[in-house]
Amino acid sequence: MIEWIESVLHTTVQMGTVYLLASLGEIYAERSGILNLGLEGMMIMGAALSFIFTLAYGHLAAIIVSIIAGILMSLILAVMAIHMRLNQVVTGLALTILGLGLSGFLAFPEIRKKILLTLNPTLPEQALITQEAPKLPEIAVPLLSDIPLIGKSFFHHNVLVYVSYIAAITMWFILFKTKLGLSLRSVGEDPATADSLGVNVFLVRYLATVISGGFAGLAGAYLFIGFHPFWQEGMTAGKGFIALALVILSTWNPLRAILGAYLFGGVETIQFRLQLFGFGAQSPYFLAMLPYLITIITLILISFENLKKRIGVPKALGIPYSREQD
Amino acid sequence: MPRKIRTPLGVVRIERRVTYPRYISVLTTLLAIFLAFAAVAIILTLMGVDAANAFMIIGKAFIDPRLLLQSIKQAIPICLSALGVGIAFKMNFWNIGAEGQIYMGMLASTGMVLLHAYYGMFNEQSLLAIMFISSFILGGAWCLLPAFLRAKLNVNEILTTLMLNYVAILIVDYLIHGPWRDPKGYGFPLSIEFPDYAKLLFIFNNPSYTGLLIAVLGAAAAYFILKYTKLGFEIKVVGQNPNVARYAGINISKVITLGGFLSGGLAGIGGLSIVSGIIGRLRPRASPGYGYTAIIVAALAGLNPWLIVVASIFFGGLLTAGESLQASMNIPKTATQMIQAIIFLFILMGEFFKRYRIVFERKEGGKGA
Repeated sequence: MIEWIESVLHTTVQMGTVYLLASLGEIYAERSGILNLGLEGMMIMGAALSFIFTLAYGHLAAIIVSIIAGILMSLILAVMAIHMRLNQVVTGLALTILGLGLSGFLAFPEIRKKILLTLNPTLPEQALITQEAPKLPEIAVPLLSDIPLIGKSFFHHNVLVYVSYIAAITMWFILFKTKLGLSLRSVGEDPATADSLGVNVFLVRYLATVISGGFAGLAGAYLFIGFHPFWQEGMTAGKGFIALALVILSTWNPLRAILGAYLFGGVETIQFRLQLFGFGAQSPYFLAMLPYLITIITLILISFENLKKRIGVPKALGIPYSREQD
Repeated sequence: MPRKIRTPLGVVRIERRVTYPRYISVLTTLLAIFLAFAAVAIILTLMGVDAANAFMIIGKAFIDPRLLLQSIKQAIPICLSALGVGIAFKMNFWNIGAEGQIYMGMLASTGMVLLHAYYGMFNEQSLLAIMFISSFILGGAWCLLPAFLRAKLNVNEILTTLMLNYVAILIVDYLIHGPWRDPKGYGFPLSIEFPDYAKLLFIFNNPSYTGLLIAVLGAAAAYFILKYTKLGFEIKVVGQNPNVARYAGINISKVITLGGFLSGGLAGIGGLSIVSGIIGRLRPRASPGYGYTAIIVAALAGLNPWLIVVASIFFGGLLTAGESLQASMNIPKTATQMIQAIIFLFILMGEFFKRYRIVFERKEGGKGA
């Protein structure tokens, strides 16, 4: 029984980390007033590039390149949303479509082969045609991994899972306990006042957007090399958008995002466990709907909370800032 | 005070244009498309693909009469859903769910055909009309839920409409792999083929012409609703300024719910045009993302119904070209998705140059203020 719980929790954390990494960055962007709807596209780019670069140069290069790709895409969003003051919903969507198209293009067998040969001409034939890449190794944390139940479930993972723990706590601390975090939140609530108090609204928003892009790229890299190292076109399957819902559920708080991420991770784990038990053997389609339906239900439930308490949404979310009155 | 940016070439000011003539709008759009293709050419060349040849193939989708008809056929679902998306966007209701609403439209029209074929319901003359009505209603209903949740509980419609896309695709997957599979279809996940009277063939016996008529009628309907009806007026006011709408006594919840239903319904008919126009039966993943392309088309056309018709033929051509590219040059179909997205980004940036003017000042601190 204990072992079963351990393995369920272990998978829950594995699945949840995808959501956690993606939503941590998005929390920063939204706290600063920028809605990054390109999350899904940045994640899939991270996944595709980590596939290609793991084969060519190994895991570390893959992770770095994925983060850079996320940052570059978020810079496009930043310029368009912050300086050009364009609508953030459509801009983000455009980036998502771009990511889905570009990733499918780059990872398409013929094209991928050319890229791989350019990157590393010494690659064996096998690496040029495979759809798989080596997974990140799991490292047990000394001492902590010996704790019963918790050890196996939370401290027997690959390095990116530990990165997500540390990032969540650090980002919570920065957001709520430091001056920088205060600036970030004030920019998202009332940019004009923040500006008059000497906060550089544009700079803060750029930083936050870039952070969200970097984390989205990292989440994509984790999804591929840390979780499911088998390339499928469009393999994010809406996970970026579920992460966006998670941001709302977490009320823009990195620590709560941990809970939310594992809630969604848990739902997917249960879905797979039920499939193993033979539930929905004839029609796996209904089980596959679960994450999307749960997302809608949580959005509805949280809206009741929001109506009651009026908490949460950064007031300037999605509104471009300009010093002119227009 | 206008914003100033110091550059090595002098001071650059960004001014909001008070009015902008139509030619600027047309010019920026054309320039954006040109720049997008330039960007695509660079990417293709970097990947070792012959860009000139690829563009020739893309051009053919608009010149070769047979391919042009194919392009128009593919444009129909895009156009109808883009009209729906346009109505939703007009009221600042971000319906990203056209894809799911398309699937519900396909489901409804196929369901009616199966009821007719298996249980002998409806006669031959009325079947197509019933398919139209049912796909409109089911597509609309699929958008009604997010619209209602947004109107009553302020639930984010971007996420709910998007999540419902995945749900709709899975429902169709289930039906077509299960109860709706053609018993004589050798186990392939396909429905029975629609009888001719359930296909869009009533003009020149050709789905492209028939579809084009439906698309133009759809555009006319959207134009009429937005311009000449009370609902259309209210949709615009709600979109432009909800506060004004509230003071004017407009029931915002009702407008969003009704507008959402209309928006989803149009996409639903787009779904019908796929099963009874393009494929002639239902199969899984029958829409290669028409609903997402529709969003790009709506934005490109500036939400204007007539321009949506033109823009969707352009994108229908791109999709058709994508198929030829995959067949003749082994370029993945996703390349067209990439081209679409790049055009989308440039069009959006063009939006900025329509609204603002960039003024170069030779001497630093020249005219100022």
